[in-house]
Amino acid sequence: ISTNSVQKSNAIFVSHRQKGNPLLKHIRNVKWNFAEVIPDYVLGQNTCALYLSLRYHLLHPDYLYYRIRELQKNFRLRVVLCHVDVEDVVKPLLEVTRTCLLHDCTLLCAWSLEECGRYLETIKVYENKPADIIQGHMDSDYLSRLNHALTAVRRVNKTDVVTLGSTFGSLSHIMDASVEDLARCPGIGEHKVKRLYDTFHEPFKRVV
Amino acid sequence: MVSGFAKAERIMKCLFVRKLHLWPRFQVYVSQELERNPPEVVDIKVPMNSAMKGIQKAIIEVMDACLKEMRKTNKVDVEDLTVENGLFKSFDEIIRRQLDPIWHNLGKKTKQLVSDLKTLRKLLDYLVRYDAVTYLKYLDSLRVSESFRSVWIFAESSYKIFEYAKKRVYHFAKSEASISSGQNESMIGKKRKSKESSNVKEASGGVFLQEILEEPPKWKVLRDILVEIEEDRKKQASSSEFAGANEDEAGGIVLVACKDEHSCMQLEDCITNGPKKVMRGEWEKYLLSKVELKGQQGRHKGSKKKAKEPKGFGILDGVVPRTGKEDGEASSINKQENDALLAAASAVRSLSNKEAVVEDPCRHVVDNELNAEGRKRGKSKKSLQGKNSDKQSKTLCNSKTSDKSQVTNPGNEGERIDDSTIAEDVVDEGDQRTLLSGTGVLRRHTEDVCPDATTNLTLPVHFHALESDLCILDILKPSVIIVYHPDITFVQEVEIYNSENPLKKLKVYFLFYEDSTEVQKFEASIRRENGAFESLIRQKSMMMIPVNLDDHLLGVNSSIDLQSSVAQNTITRKAGGRKEAEKEMQVIVDMREFMSSLPNVLHQKGLRIIPVTLEVGDYILSPSICVERKSIQDLFGSFTSGRLYHQVETMVRYYRIPVLLIEFSQDKSFSFQSASDLGDDVTPNSIISKLTLLVMHFPRLRIVWSRSLHATAEIFTSLKANQDEPDEAKATRVGVPSEDGIVENDVRAENYNTSAVEFLRRLPGVTDSNYRTIMDGCNSLADLALLPVEKLADMMGGQKAARTLREFLDAKYPTML
Repeated sequence: ISTNSVQKSNAIFVSHRQKGNPLLKHIRNVKWNFAEVIPDYVLGQNTCALYLSLRYHLLHPDYLYYRIRELQKNFRLRVVLCHVDVEDVVKPLLEVTRTCLLHDCTLLCAWSLEECGRYLETIKVYENKPADIIQGHMDSDYLSRLNHALTAVRRVNKTDVVTLGSTFGSLSHIMDASVEDLARCPGIGEHKVKRLYDTFHEPFKRVV
Repeated sequence: MVSGFAKAERIMKCLFVRKLHLWPRFQVYVSQELERNPPEVVDIKVPMNSAMKGIQKAIIEVMDACLKEMRKTNKVDVEDLTVENGLFKSFDEIIRRQLDPIWHNLGKKTKQLVSDLKTLRKLLDYLVRYDAVTYLKYLDSLRVSESFRSVWIFAESSYKIFEYAKKRVYHFAKSEASISSGQNESMIGKKRKSKESSNVKEASGGVFLQEILEEPPKWKVLRDILVEIEEDRKKQASSSEFAGANEDEAGGIVLVACKDEHSCMQLEDCITNGPKKVMRGEWEKYLLSKVELKGQQGRHKGSKKKAKEPKGFGILDGVVPRTGKEDGEASSINKQENDALLAAASAVRSLSNKEAVVEDPCRHVVDNELNAEGRKRGKSKKSLQGKNSDKQSKTLCNSKTSDKSQVTNPGNEGERIDDSTIAEDVVDEGDQRTLLSGTGVLRRHTEDVCPDATTNLTLPVHFHALESDLCILDILKPSVIIVYHPDITFVQEVEIYNSENPLKKLKVYFLFYEDSTEVQKFEASIRRENGAFESLIRQKSMMMIPVNLDDHLLGVNSSIDLQSSVAQNTITRKAGGRKEAEKEMQVIVDMREFMSSLPNVLHQKGLRIIPVTLEVGDYILSPSICVERKSIQDLFGSFTSGRLYHQVETMVRYYRIPVLLIEFSQDKSFSFQSASDLGDDVTPNSIISKLTLLVMHFPRLRIVWSRSLHATAEIFTSLKANQDEPDEAKATRVGVPSEDGIVENDVRAENYNTSAVEFLRRLPGVTDSNYRTIMDGCNSLADLALLPVEKLADMMGGQKAARTLREFLDAKYPTML
């Protein structure tokens, strides 16, 4: 196996076993070519993926296990890309989940071939991407923080946040408002008033 | 009961009930019983004024347009989608029931349409419930919070809604002619030459603001009714003195039933203080909230120049689609209008005694914004009225607010003489003004009525909010009921109350707006009730109820017995069976998870649930398996907030098999998005990209995809099969900062005010490591809001965090923008 040349490339390497898989049509944003590789897809130096259709799994329940065993310990991230193409998913998915969990594979579910293709593309494209878009540089401006906090109370929506804000002026005033004052706000009904008031005035710990 | 297929039948089967009795209103006995002693019913149709009609028409137009759009999507059954249905709350349910299974696959536009329809229905409802100012305020908030997403706000007719709503409150004019009237009273408005006036066609054209403050027509009618009742009572009293008839009947309570607490309070105010004052109060509040925004804006302007300005004003004035860039003139008019509003607001502000302090920051900015002329007039007016401007403004304010209500002034004797003279002036001006404004005639009339209504009203009037669900009728035993907001369930209550108390003479007034959706809604709900009964009767005739229901009951028990015996059999058959039976499977569950029903389902499955406070993860299945559970909504939310990343990070640190459980809900589709919504390219915002990134950064993270709660429970048991049981003490200690070292064993979910804890954790400066000490340090959020920085710093373990929190709590809300 020509390991080095395979792993430095910026194309996806596809096993010959995948020939004829309609999924390949949907890998369009990244180059791909066939190669002599053990997993179905090699997506990077330490990343590989196996493709599994749930329908196929129902016919050959042991297939996944044998494929995973073949991989040995050559990859750090081993993805099982599960194409959910049956209606009654609970049982087969449970089996797949269990197998993945016990054999150190990460399970990703997709509901269409397009989605499967997109996962493969994304893994390749994001090969060296930092995680900052999911690390949550939360919008730090006042309004979105206020929204974030107040909508923790159930049923309170963004319009209510605006109403509360403009009526009381600041968050500390909102938190200190009486039931009557809250009820006077347009659009805030009985239930919301109660919920808001309880949130602010009930002690954190109910029973001491 | 009638919605859904054979619902009644299914319910009966579930309850093992075999007989269904229907007692519809049109059944002979029922109607006889109810009408044996009919109450005196007066229907009063109040004509809506033109602006209200305009708004209503516009809203219905927009709704219709939305519904048409909806039909185009081809995803819903069009049969139920009519405007009439759209008036009911159940309409949302109809739509949601149809759309829920495919909700994740819907386009953004359709989702928006659904929520727009909901908003519009609310608007219609509020139109008849709220007074003009409150309504405008609500519209303003709506516009701010929705303008960027919703479809309807850009429609032609919705522009009309905003226009009319504004017209009900104030009138904005640019002509010289009526300035004189504006000058009379500072509150009406201020003639101002704005800086932008050079851009306007008539450069010299002053703008000013005229209040209209239209009061809801029903208020007047309500007062009339009360007066009428009063007079009736008096007559009755005088006649009954001769006859010696029962007095208590005359002294019965008048019950006014309205929809919500808000209108109750307002009506009460209105009766005791007169409508003018109420409207005035609302108006002042409205202006004050505006002035605050302007202050904020002004400050903004100072630093950021005028970059953002036109947009802001555009939003404020309902011409969102065409802001300053395209239509310079329109925006400058709007600007002037705003300035005028602002000026009026500042006048109110300077008048209200509390804010009369000179160093008020907002006032300061406002002053900066006011041009020379405005300020000059302000001064001259003040100097006319007295030497001590502070005191004077206070008295002026008092006289204004006490307007025509005969409430005694709290001020001291000396001032009161001044007051009364000023008050007289104000009255005159007020009358002049109302004559000038369109609704003059009506207003004058109400003013005539109002004083005697307020002074002479000795009736025991009780206001009742329909929302509060109290059996008020049986408690109060009213003799007169005024139904301010017609509502079918309340009508039924009244009927029953009446037939239960045949001795009492009941008089019921209904207040409708003529030709309004209110009437339509009420009549439609009556129709629906009848229709529902008819369909139930039809259903009953075809209903199939199994005869052996009683046996069935027994059957349930026996099947349980059977099950347990089977279970015993399997145990004895297995070699190691006894051991398993002794050792129950355990799951450690974080107490916050008790908001969801998964712990319940797990318990039903026979797992032992150990509730504790977990710092890391939601469920601990074994010493090595830790699960963080995310519903779909949570998943999206915590990806954007970054919370998920950090949760996974800690899980990976402490457990060998960290698991992210993605749980779909049973009644919604099992997928993120449809293939057509996927797009052509890899985009950073898509859930696929985010999930992929997460997986790539944590190759050890395992993902479990669950179809439903029950599937989750199954997966849990299956995963636990060959694993050791988790250790409670260890699990609670994981991730907890070591210095406090307290193991919280016996905390249960119900001991915490969970929504308050969640709220607290979302505040800036509050972190996973300090929120516990905060909770220990103060009793409730309301307490927290009052603590000074030093105290906070003690609890939060740092000056910086404390300052961040304090600043956030006290930050002025940048209103309306």
